[in-house]
Amino acid sequence: MAADRPGSALAGLLQAAVALPVLVLPMRAGAVQAGEAGAAVLSYRERGLMKVTEPVAWVRLDLDGQWEFRASGVVDIVSGASPRLVTNQSGEPVQSLTGASIRDRRVGGELGVMRRVGDVKVGLSHTRSDEDDYRSRAIGAQAAWEFDERLTTFTAGVGRAGDRVRSAENPGLDEPRRTDEYLIGVARVLSPTAVVQTSLQASRGRGWYNDPYKLTLTFPPGGGLPVLARDIRPNHRASLAWLTRYRQRFPSLAGTLQAEHRYYRDDWGIRAHALEAGWSQDLPSGWSVRPALRYATQSAASFYSPTVPQPVPAVHSSDQRLGAYGSLSPSLKVVKTLDGGLSLEASAGWYVNASRWRAGGGGTPSFETLRASYVLMGVKRDF
Amino acid sequence: MAAENEIQIHADDAADARVAAQRAVDEVRRIERKYSRYREDSLLSRINASAGGVPVPIDDETRALLDYADRCWQQSGGLFDVTSGVLRRAWRLDVARVPTDAELAPLLALVGWPRVERDGAGIRLPLAGMELDFGGLGKEYAVDRALAELSACGMASALVNLAGDLAILGPQPGDVPWRVGIRHPSRPQSLAASLAVSAGAIATSGDYERFVEVDGVRHSHLLDPRTGRAARGLRSVTVQGPSCLVAGSAATIAMLHGEAEGLRWLDDLGLPCYAIGSDGRVTDSFTRPGR
Repeated sequence: MAADRPGSALAGLLQAAVALPVLVLPMRAGAVQAGEAGAAVLSYRERGLMKVTEPVAWVRLDLDGQWEFRASGVVDIVSGASPRLVTNQSGEPVQSLTGASIRDRRVGGELGVMRRVGDVKVGLSHTRSDEDDYRSRAIGAQAAWEFDERLTTFTAGVGRAGDRVRSAENPGLDEPRRTDEYLIGVARVLSPTAVVQTSLQASRGRGWYNDPYKLTLTFPPGGGLPVLARDIRPNHRASLAWLTRYRQRFPSLAGTLQAEHRYYRDDWGIRAHALEAGWSQDLPSGWSVRPALRYATQSAASFYSPTVPQPVPAVHSSDQRLGAYGSLSPSLKVVKTLDGGLSLEASAGWYVNASRWRAGGGGTPSFETLRASYVLMGVKRDF
Repeated sequence: MAAENEIQIHADDAADARVAAQRAVDEVRRIERKYSRYREDSLLSRINASAGGVPVPIDDETRALLDYADRCWQQSGGLFDVTSGVLRRAWRLDVARVPTDAELAPLLALVGWPRVERDGAGIRLPLAGMELDFGGLGKEYAVDRALAELSACGMASALVNLAGDLAILGPQPGDVPWRVGIRHPSRPQSLAASLAVSAGAIATSGDYERFVEVDGVRHSHLLDPRTGRAARGLRSVTVQGPSCLVAGSAATIAMLHGEAEGLRWLDDLGLPCYAIGSDGRVTDSFTRPGR
């Protein structure tokens, strides 16, 4: 028997219900977040000399709970890299020389689409990056399975990138590089306040890895002509990265602990660990602050040396990023959340590396400490 | 209540919240002691023990609950019947067997809400063996009462959840809604949908919680009081209402109807709902209002 007229069934039930000592609640279904859009500007300064400004914008749209679409764009503006040459005639090794990089702009973007089918989400993405002397195109496919009432998520992904390396100094250079990537990961909600995730990413690349602008100049002790070697690296690179993240909310403190560990190894001989710990503290009036500290340590690539060895090897690089060193990166992020799903963010971070900070010693000698800092300002809107 | 129950509160003062939560828990226990058919000393058991005998005096709370049960009986065309609990005796959940007409007949003779005598003296079940069962009302009423206790203690952001029937006073801090998942009827570890609720009550009735499966056919615990057989219709109905009592009985009534009738009932009701049909088809006026 249907009700006499629409709504009369509800009226009937409600009238009888209010005779009981119960509340009549308003019914408010909050808007399920349908997406977000944001923009940020990052300013990065290295040794007080090199400056990078990076405006980036992104948008994510959730259509119908089944399709998700995201797009982002970034522009890097680099200025002011100047060559450095330090000589020492007493026989100590010297620093390498970098040609002036005329990379003045990098434009990059990413497009991704994802579809949910029951407990599975599948997605495709395309990324591209263009500079005067470097071009990269990549595609990726990813799938995620949710189990156990969405408490466990298993992710798998594959990707392929094709890069082209050129040189502003050498018009004849135009070399390809191809990288295949594979990812598997699992995330688990441990409790209403704790989440852990871990993932393995394997990468295999073939092609041109040399830095076209790098030269190493070594003056032998006792005088004599310097030896010059170009940066020549292997034409393949296979790497494995293992990343684990843990987040624990402490409701009584209104804060969240965020910890992360990353282990990296590749067939160039580099082994690296990075550990980051951060604490996100909620403050009144929609503010939150997150101080964090990251420590990283790595061993040198097998073909790395700050000076050119004798006899001159086929493969050699003095790029300090391939050396053995440790680094510390403190950072601070401040976020203000406003009504209407708007949030503003400001972050600042410092990066210092030093060969003596390598865990267990054995840092590369004559390593020039790098000091860099960055400031990021961003705005994000949920809708 | 042998299922997962929880109370979640956001408050400025943890001590206040604990006091409020304790009062809510005490209230739930009080209602269970009063209306549980598993307790010999409950008011409900005393009313049932007195069937075929003298009237049992009842208080205002019980009177109002029985008036509500009466209204549900009227609005459901007689499908929602709090005397239909006796039919359970023919369906033993641990034995996968469908009862015969001969087994059901004597029990059907004991079913019939209009026969219950309610007056100034109290309540009387006219035939020995008749039973009142608040299975479709007690838990939902307890949710509403627990929430009322939290509100009386000054709480504004709270959720009470008794085995999947829940009510929400107000959103989490920052106007963030609570996330409520609707279980999938055929895949027990899966969610069919996820809702974002800031206020209101959500109740679900489904054929997957307690059922008997015979020869691949699932017979739910919701029995048609006219035939004694399992109601055959929608697989799961979730309703959002102004109280858990209203949402819960609306969901149960929709499940007791056949599939098409149940959907029509929900449509007339006008409350946001999420219904899963026997073929898996979803009718959703929750996440897509107006559809």
